[in-house]
Amino acid sequence: MRVKFWGVRGSIPAPGPETNRYGGNTSCVSIRTSDDELFIIDMGTGVMHLGISLMGGEFGSGSGKATVFLSHAHWDHIQGFPFFPPIFVPGNHFDVYGNARSSDRLESILEGQMNPHFSPIYTLKNLGSGIVFRGVHPGQEFDVAGVQVNALDNPHGNTSALAYRFSENGRTFIYASDVGYPDSGPSAQTIAFYKDADVLLHDCTYTPEDQKTRRARGFSSYADAAAVAAAAGVKHLVMFHYDQDYSDDKVDALLAACRKELDRHGGESIKLTAAAEGAELDVS
Amino acid sequence: MKVRFWGVRGSIPVPGPQTNRYGGNTSCVEVRPKGGAPIVIDAGSGIRKLGQHLMNHECGEGNGSVHLLISHTHWDHIQGLPFFSPLYTEGNDLHVYARQREDKHLQSIFAQQNEGPYFPVPLDSMKASVDFRELTEGQQFDIAEAKVTCTRLNHPWIAMAYRIDVDGASVVYSSDTAPFTDILLEQEFIAQPPEIGAPLKPEDAAKLKAMRKGLVDLCKGADLLIYDTQFTPEEYRQKPHWGHSTPDDAMSIARDAGVKTVALFHHAPARTDDQQDAILERYQEGTKNEEFDVISSYEGMELTLGDHD
Repeated sequence: MRVKFWGVRGSIPAPGPETNRYGGNTSCVSIRTSDDELFIIDMGTGVMHLGISLMGGEFGSGSGKATVFLSHAHWDHIQGFPFFPPIFVPGNHFDVYGNARSSDRLESILEGQMNPHFSPIYTLKNLGSGIVFRGVHPGQEFDVAGVQVNALDNPHGNTSALAYRFSENGRTFIYASDVGYPDSGPSAQTIAFYKDADVLLHDCTYTPEDQKTRRARGFSSYADAAAVAAAAGVKHLVMFHYDQDYSDDKVDALLAACRKELDRHGGESIKLTAAAEGAELDVS
Repeated sequence: MKVRFWGVRGSIPVPGPQTNRYGGNTSCVEVRPKGGAPIVIDAGSGIRKLGQHLMNHECGEGNGSVHLLISHTHWDHIQGLPFFSPLYTEGNDLHVYARQREDKHLQSIFAQQNEGPYFPVPLDSMKASVDFRELTEGQQFDIAEAKVTCTRLNHPWIAMAYRIDVDGASVVYSSDTAPFTDILLEQEFIAQPPEIGAPLKPEDAAKLKAMRKGLVDLCKGADLLIYDTQFTPEEYRQKPHWGHSTPDDAMSIARDAGVKTVALFHHAPARTDDQQDAILERYQEGTKNEEFDVISSYEGMELTLGDHD
């Protein structure tokens, strides 16, 4: 699996010189499987730039196919959807997985985004490409293009968000954005889900100090990410979903502080990086 | 009055080095009358930083009052509102104004943005008090010393232009709109672009003519006209049904209305800073003999008009 970051920011896009290095686009990560199948995880504004990059190939000519995995439907994880150019090209096909009791419910959430009060698209029916919605049942592993996929319902403020686990050829990548653990820490189930992963991409929205005043929002601090990464024995922790007010320099500071936290938890051998727009990871 | 630009981009925020100078945030303009409360036009992502700025003043103490005029409720004109800090402080008042809709009250349209599963903080649980005032086309009303007038524009689902007169100066905000020549944009979804120059239905042509006259009347003698210039003429020919204009259309209105300065606004998301420089240069060059000046709006730009603090 080759993983690429298209948007690493939380809550709302944050343009400006102070976010040029890590990037100001909201959440979007792509995976290319060993068979070159395309997975898209979350559709924040970063997905527009992924989409533009795809238009030179089969997605431009209407023979593209990709699978989308949505963690949840807060705006910053879906706001790039109507700006993803391949979605307008007849012939392209998208399977969209998301956290919903039913595929109908998932469809109605995205239909609400296209409502004419809010969008000149009016309805999903005007998008052109073929879209099939599929509700995800956490805990039930399924296969997509030779990749084993499983989901976990993580607590996220007054709602929940899915973490996804992708395994191919014995290597595992986990996407766990938008998670705020209770005071007692992550559940045994969560630690088991992350266990021994090659790469754990984890919500790192806040410093512990900022998190204290914003507990109800349901995000992690870098200290939470380091603690759970060490507890689960992952090989590589990737920081993700930075607060919209954090500058590049602040993210640098988060990275250094997170390294110390990992070491403090006995995770000296865990590799640590801070996700940046345009960066790629080889998980194979 | 002072006019300050907090977001000048159309469609979707575009962070990145290529937008550092003009800015990547979506539409938000602050008009601050001398000694008065801010009148904000549109709540794109730029309103987040305006909110932080206002929190250094009255809004931070919970006695701020903000008037928000909304051109229309497409995402790029409202997506910053949930991140507007003054809403989270008790004692502040936000007054939202927008065109009345046939099917839904304004409040329920805005409430949807803040509800699950899209956002965790419902509008009615915000600590500030928020009220909504629905407007009809052509309506005139006062906000303290400022006189506000409005007229409709040519955009899918219909947008409103606003004129604010205060402190002996006037500013018009006219975004989003298509030109008034090729297609009538109202409630209906239009999938395919019409041929440019193809004859319009007589009733559509009459409606567009009246709409343009309404806008020219609104802009009459304005000191500043902020205008949707998302497209170059070449881009417009591909997408006349998207509801956006070119700088030429802005010039045409400015000429007929005798405005003093035109500010290019609502830049396309794909437009780089260097491209915008070139567009500005091209139109400044081409309008040397006109009565009006052409400038391009950028994030952080502040203009002073008439009497001011």
